[in-house]
Amino acid sequence: MIARTFEEAGLTTTGIVLIEEHAQRVKPPRMLAVPFFFGNALGEADNPEYQHRVLQSTFDLLDRDQGPVLEQLPDDMIPDILMQGSETANESQEKGLNAADELTALRAYYEQWTKAHAGRTAVGLSAIPQRRFRGIIRFLEGYVNGEESDMKERPQDFTVPQFIRYCVDDLKAFYYEARMAQRPDGADREIHDWFWSDTAVGALLMALAQRMREDEDKEVQAVAYGIAR
Amino acid sequence: MGLVTTAGLHVRGDKPFIADHKGGGDTSFRVIPRSVGANDIIQSHTSIGFDHTGIYRDINVTFPIDRLPELVDQGKIGSLSDNYYSFMGALRDVTGIIEDSGPEVARRLKAEGVDVVLLTPT
Repeated sequence: MIARTFEEAGLTTTGIVLIEEHAQRVKPPRMLAVPFFFGNALGEADNPEYQHRVLQSTFDLLDRDQGPVLEQLPDDMIPDILMQGSETANESQEKGLNAADELTALRAYYEQWTKAHAGRTAVGLSAIPQRRFRGIIRFLEGYVNGEESDMKERPQDFTVPQFIRYCVDDLKAFYYEARMAQRPDGADREIHDWFWSDTAVGALLMALAQRMREDEDKEVQAVAYGIAR
Repeated sequence: MGLVTTAGLHVRGDKPFIADHKGGGDTSFRVIPRSVGANDIIQSHTSIGFDHTGIYRDINVTFPIDRLPELVDQGKIGSLSDNYYSFMGALRDVTGIIEDSGPEVARRLKAEGVDVVLLTPT
């Protein structure tokens, strides 16, 4: 759809699409349909050679004179299936885990990750420094219990529901990056299994999503939709 | 060549994309200067019905900012635009992109001398 807008303005486009049915309907000028999950358009992280193969197949479409062109990437890489938060049972409560202490215990691994990646981190949406994430956890626990409705460090540009969403994104990124440092050979699926099944923060986010789904405010409900998937 | 993504990426500190509960979604765009490194690009896509692990590991799996300069070095691409652009995908109503932000980004790309645009999704 953006492709057609660009082409009407005189640009030539080529691109990657993850949902072939969308491209069949929208009929963009040139698209390569790839068999990967959302978030993995070029196939595999840390695999430049494979990413170049996907890009080359995408650029090959530029040689076609007539569109729309929709081709499939021929490939035998079968993506792993990832569970959603809502599909798992979390065992952290039975184990007596505490979210704030759990986070503190992971901090060294998180910092190891950022150090090993020249500072690269997906954390940062909430604008709360990671060293103060225990405060985020206390706020979210209070919000779930009905004891808190806002956090004083919230940037005024964000509504409370937006801020909660960015806090959740930051906690997830923190945990995932810490886990990747802790278990460098761990597969993506193992990280998901661990986060949603074993951690106290995973349990907190599922409780948070439930609390927000039951709210009367439509904006709160909209944020709840994505939190624990 | 220009690079445009619908992955909801933006420069750290720039305004995040927002979940618009009233309408069809956030149809605005963000500018990501080519000079900005992977360290300073984050994602605020409001749909998290997808796996973020890949992009946590390597932003190139969604937004090939390291791959494209390699293709320039290999002579497969002439040159890259000074700015890349980002939208948020998974919108319910794309009118704002068709009528406003899409043509605006096209105008900017053309002003930068871009003739071919690579589009990458979430």
